[in-house]
Amino acid sequence: MYIFKNILGSFVFDDQFRLVEKGAEKDLHKKHNDLKEPSEEALFEVLLAFKEHRFFDEFHDKNLTITKKAIKESAKGDILIIQTIKNIEDIDKINSTLIKDLREWYEIYNPEFSRSISNNERFAELIVSKSKHELLKEIGADETHTMGADLSKEDVDAIKNLAKRLNEMLVFKKEQEEYLGTLMKKECPNIIEMTGVLIGAKMIEHAGSLKRLTEMPASTIQLLGAEKALFRHMKTGARSPKYGLLFQHPLISRIGKDQHGRAARALADKISLASKIDYFKGEFIGDKLRKEVEDKFI
Amino acid sequence: MNPSRFKGIYEQRKKDRMKLFTVNLVPGKKVYEERLVKEDGKEFREWDPKRSKLAASILNGISQIGIKETDVILYLGSSTGTTCSHVSDIVARQGFVFALDFAPRVVRELAFLCEDRTNMAPILANAASPKEYSHRISQVDYVYQDIAQKNQAEIFLKNCRLFLKKGGFAFIAVKARSIDVTKKPSVVFKEVRAKLEKELVIVDSRDIAPYQLDHMVFLCKKR
Repeated sequence: MYIFKNILGSFVFDDQFRLVEKGAEKDLHKKHNDLKEPSEEALFEVLLAFKEHRFFDEFHDKNLTITKKAIKESAKGDILIIQTIKNIEDIDKINSTLIKDLREWYEIYNPEFSRSISNNERFAELIVSKSKHELLKEIGADETHTMGADLSKEDVDAIKNLAKRLNEMLVFKKEQEEYLGTLMKKECPNIIEMTGVLIGAKMIEHAGSLKRLTEMPASTIQLLGAEKALFRHMKTGARSPKYGLLFQHPLISRIGKDQHGRAARALADKISLASKIDYFKGEFIGDKLRKEVEDKFI
Repeated sequence: MNPSRFKGIYEQRKKDRMKLFTVNLVPGKKVYEERLVKEDGKEFREWDPKRSKLAASILNGISQIGIKETDVILYLGSSTGTTCSHVSDIVARQGFVFALDFAPRVVRELAFLCEDRTNMAPILANAASPKEYSHRISQVDYVYQDIAQKNQAEIFLKNCRLFLKKGGFAFIAVKARSIDVTKKPSVVFKEVRAKLEKELVIVDSRDIAPYQLDHMVFLCKKR
């Protein structure tokens, strides 16, 4: 005789796998002696008894309830990290487009000033706060021989409006980055110590979750972001890539090109360690890890 | 609108193309922005072969799909429920679909879908660990799998072994690139075929180009 418990309840089966009765687990054990749990082969037979129309509604309702709860509980910290970095990347794209618009539009009005300043953020701030006359004076341009059109106040205000919104978007991006930093310090302090906020978040985003990142070998972490080059190397035998997202790492930019490959590998090794410590909520040793890598190269 | 060779599936010829439809279990509601067509007092949902590998295999002339209207089906890799909803239409009130996927984001959509469709149950679980959901399902008449994993053949066989009735049909959509991106697809499919043949009888197989590239479907039967 078998006892089998599933989401519909507890059931007793006879040795020919016929359903005998349904009840509370304790009561069934009291009523029948020697109830075994089915082995894998027995399970196959037992499950047949549940393939009946009368069980459909309960299978539907119980599974729906369980699944809803599971989805609710699946929202862990790294999901918020991934949403935030996705948003930051999108804001960046939007800002690129807006700044292009602003430059082109403003240059109808005051091209000399636009060309004199390369920093987009300061450009957007200054054209709102200062007049065309003031700006041209500051860069020492001869106002009588400029190529900028004379626009009405309304037309200039429209351009300034875009500049104001762009400034807001640039501030917005910074705020999201700050929030991301706080989030990551809480969820993955070791990773953030090794990679900084943006690269760390992009790695988690790329892997799909913090858990997936911990399951990757260091060699995969090293090449996150270099998939195109990697598969080209695997398929055609072209040279292997040295790094993907890690290319942006400050350590890489500080050392000579001949050391890039070794440094990327060393970083990836420590990042792999750091991610495991963070996932399993171990103690903070990120600073020690970072020092180990830096000592090797600097 | 004409009935096709397969029960529960209808077809309509538009110019040089054949379009497939199923009868909407929940009239008035769309699942994925598909076209709804009313005829003979019934509402039909258009079935997009580009988004559904089962539809693609039918249009590419597969000899059987093996789904009966009374079937209880285990659907591995239901995602947001695109193909699943059509299978749900086909088995309607007589059958049942256990819809499984691993990603919370898509199972959330599936859960909303199952609120309307009482012949479908959503399960958030890993198809590679069937013992973890054996207490949530029954034995099934049919297994459908569309999972992009390296070990998709092993997952398929494991689930068929544990849950598919003797003589039951099983359908697997194989993506060559998920298994090995460096091998030629034809080589990958040959290897999959050999793995499947050890335990199942392969009834038919189809390349589903041009709807999906480097994909092959296998309709199998458990001995």
